[in-house]
Amino acid sequence: MGLITLPADVPWLSLIWLSMLVPAIIIAVIPDRYPDLMRWVGAGFALLSLILSLSVFLAYDPVKGGFQFIEQLDWIPQLGISYLLGVDGINLPMLLLNGIVIFTGSLMSWNIDVRTKEYWVWLLLLTTGVYGVFSALDLFLFFVFYELAVLPMYLLIGIWGSTRKEYGAMKLTLFLMAGSALVIIGMIGLYFGSGLRTFNMLVLAEQGFISGNLQWLLFPALFVGFGVLAGMFPFHTWSPTGHVAAPTAVSMLHAGVLMKLGAYGCLRAAMWLMPVGARDWLPIIAVLTIFNVVYGASIAMVQRDAKFIIGYSSVSHMGLVVMALAAGTQIALMGAVLQMFAHGIMTALFFAVVGRMIYDRTHTRQLPELGGLGRVMPFAAAMFILGGLSSMGMPGLAGFWAEFNIFIGVWERYPLIAVIAALSIPITGAYILRAVWSVFYDEVKNPEFLHLPKLTWQEYTGALILAVVLVGLGLYPAWMTELIDTAVRPLAARLSEVAVALR
Amino acid sequence: MFQLTDIPRLLPEILLLVLALLVLGSDILEKWGRTPEAQLERVKSSASLTSIGLVMVLAVALLQSGYLYQLPETAPVNFFTNIIRNLQSGGPGGDPVAGVFVVDHLTMIARLLIIGSALLISLLCLDVRPTAHPGEFYALIVFATLGMCLMVGAKELLLAYLAIELTSIPLYLLAGYFRNEARSAEAGLKYFLFGAISSAILLYGMSIAFGAALNGVSGAANMNDLTRFDRIGAFTPSGGGLITLAMLFIVAGMGYKLAVVPFHAWSPDVYEGAPTPITAFISTASKAAGFILLFRLLTETFPAMAGAPVLGEAAGGWTGVLAVLALLTVVFGNLAALPQNNAKRLLAYSSIAHAGFVVLGLLAWAAAQQFDREQGLVALLYYLIIYSLTNIGAFGALALIGQQVGGDDFEHLRGLARRNLPLALLFTVCILSLAGIPPLGGFFAKFYIFMAGWQSGATWLVVIAVVMTIVSLYYYLRLLKVMFIEPAVDMTPVPMSRGVAAALTITAVGVLALGIFPNVILSVLERA
Repeated sequence: MGLITLPADVPWLSLIWLSMLVPAIIIAVIPDRYPDLMRWVGAGFALLSLILSLSVFLAYDPVKGGFQFIEQLDWIPQLGISYLLGVDGINLPMLLLNGIVIFTGSLMSWNIDVRTKEYWVWLLLLTTGVYGVFSALDLFLFFVFYELAVLPMYLLIGIWGSTRKEYGAMKLTLFLMAGSALVIIGMIGLYFGSGLRTFNMLVLAEQGFISGNLQWLLFPALFVGFGVLAGMFPFHTWSPTGHVAAPTAVSMLHAGVLMKLGAYGCLRAAMWLMPVGARDWLPIIAVLTIFNVVYGASIAMVQRDAKFIIGYSSVSHMGLVVMALAAGTQIALMGAVLQMFAHGIMTALFFAVVGRMIYDRTHTRQLPELGGLGRVMPFAAAMFILGGLSSMGMPGLAGFWAEFNIFIGVWERYPLIAVIAALSIPITGAYILRAVWSVFYDEVKNPEFLHLPKLTWQEYTGALILAVVLVGLGLYPAWMTELIDTAVRPLAARLSEVAVALR
Repeated sequence: MFQLTDIPRLLPEILLLVLALLVLGSDILEKWGRTPEAQLERVKSSASLTSIGLVMVLAVALLQSGYLYQLPETAPVNFFTNIIRNLQSGGPGGDPVAGVFVVDHLTMIARLLIIGSALLISLLCLDVRPTAHPGEFYALIVFATLGMCLMVGAKELLLAYLAIELTSIPLYLLAGYFRNEARSAEAGLKYFLFGAISSAILLYGMSIAFGAALNGVSGAANMNDLTRFDRIGAFTPSGGGLITLAMLFIVAGMGYKLAVVPFHAWSPDVYEGAPTPITAFISTASKAAGFILLFRLLTETFPAMAGAPVLGEAAGGWTGVLAVLALLTVVFGNLAALPQNNAKRLLAYSSIAHAGFVVLGLLAWAAAQQFDREQGLVALLYYLIIYSLTNIGAFGALALIGQQVGGDDFEHLRGLARRNLPLALLFTVCILSLAGIPPLGGFFAKFYIFMAGWQSGATWLVVIAVVMTIVSLYYYLRLLKVMFIEPAVDMTPVPMSRGVAAALTITAVGVLALGIFPNVILSVLERA
């Protein structure tokens, strides 16, 4: 039994994504002269979606495990495409993560007053897609939601962004679409190659006999296709540029949730469906992720723009996730899912502080120009330091458990890689401390900064929610790990079975 | 032999002919009206007569097809059911009319598509100001529609050729309609010259095919009807120089009509120069009709020569030829669209690229299983329907912008979202559907046709086509960028006329609805 019981005849998962689509339509018909109404509708429904995903999270029965809350409808039966939703211990934390980030993100969007209506419509459409991806179990449906999540990003960054926004937006969209091109090829290959002519992932995983050669061909298509979105080296360059250019809420969603969507796709579509392909390709991918982790962190070290630091730190941290996926052991996978959640919350907090609290007031993010802001906004400083500590893997915060699991898990499979990747820990500490010092504690370089406007209640609320989750998960990780374990255990067993069977 | 009972089976064509003559005739009676006010009245009356007439023809065709409502056998006999029964007796099925014009599901679906497109085009044309005699303009549209309807049902070389000419000649005239503008005149002349040459090539191919069939008939066997597709297919050898030559000429001749690379050279200039609604017409309905005729020609006349579109030695046949053409078309069309700075010309190149995707559906004929071949045709039809809707919407939006803002370069589009958000959104829906973004119809169309192509063995081509859709995304996003991100030159709102608004709304809603619920229409398409 889960902690709470929900009526079984309500399509909860559909309600979650509909709770983002409906306000998008409502906001579209609100007249332009009521921008506050749009904000309240948007944030209100975001809260509703958070509550819904939290209820599903609590109602999931970890003892029974497996997929629950399954909804299935025929969609295009001629082609074996169905509307199939369901959650297990892997995507459930992701749903909750998305709920938290979109709610806090919508609080951080309160100051958007240029073309407010369009902004909210695109933002909510984007989230609709993300919710959909995290609950879809049909590959086609999965892809439809995935693309829905990528495209609004272009306009959001292009219109409301900063710092080379048009370039950043175009680069991001083209990279992600190139990834999805690979995914399409992989999908069609699976559809025909399995001989089942279905996109139902449950059926494909259980009954699909996909020959080893085909898996060897298709695995990189799907893994790299989704890996682009997870910021996998050498396809990561879109991510810092895009994050820097995006407006705050979009950076939060993008680094916080969308990159996870890529890692989730790697796990769900590529590794789950094609364990034989995974066995052959994962070692190569593991080597590539060293670059992500160490190189990403070193680049973050030399950035002057605070957002670029966070952008590259995301590359480094997501590299850890992909590295853990590549290790494929139970502990590593557990760490990967935990890291996705922890990093999502942490990055959202970072971008909220840097993008909303600091940049929107000072209009600069250059470290040499900032300084002494700790005196003006101690709350922002506290939040940034909290996020930073989690990022460094300080025990008692969410990031610690994630990285701990990842390093143990990777050690089991690739000890050498684990050692090299551990280099990133001191580097991370260095760039975080450098940023903290020069933003908050260095001498005040611009006296105008002493008279910045006060933080608003939306900023306090949003940041506090994120901080509470970060600390909560750090102090008592079991509320999430138990759940993740139910899903990760069979997956790891499946991967090792193949490795043993073919040895 | 032609029988009296064949009349209801040709009813849409007959009605189109009547409508065309009616539009012409009604305008002749007003010929003396030369003042500007009288001209305006004449335009309005011709345009609305055309639109209303096409609505009625479409309604009749829809009722006849029985896709929306099929009268049950057991229905009571009364005045209304008799009308419906008589109409539906001309529905899909039965032997070809006089052995040359088949009324099957494919014809019926294509008719609906063509008449529907013509209706949308006539809505877009409500505001065009034709010179001198407006009746001509609208009547020519209806004549071309009639030609296309004949084209999709043709089962015989002569009828096919006549139908192509009946379609093309009005389109030449329409493309060059604004003869005082250099661009339009150039478009008309260019279209005419290229069209005439391609007709000659096509005709040459047809005569060789006829000759090959004549050779194949041994002795005193029945030598009648040797121009019919299936008879040629039955009597010609499966290989040999002569029949291969005929196939190549026919593919090349049709390739010109469909603007497939390397036979595309006329199309960017014609598309750019022709009046924008006519560009929409040329790029959608006439292409759709051409593809369906090509499908019938190839599968019935050369059934044994399908070959395979695979890489390596097994390649060959007409699917092999088409695969090469598709490759050239998607690569060239998309790359050439990249540097364009005129939205109309950009869409012209994108239309070329889309023709390449459609060809993938034809390749499915090489698949081993009957089921996959049928899927190929369904994918082809679905693609044509979505593509027609989308392109009419996109060109319709450009037509409006051209009229109101004064041009269709990128600079005229700048900041459109702030000058008229609904128009920009409708245009965006069409652009994104062309780019293949779910949940719009364009995505499923592409996906489906990729699957059909994959099953035909042309995996390599599918991979290239998928890569090219990413390239295409760049120029579609540029359009979006201009409309949404760049600041407007001036902030005066762009008014939207009712005809264009109606047409754009129909296309956008259609693209969205068919994209989310493709199975609604797939069950109909599967009967073809």
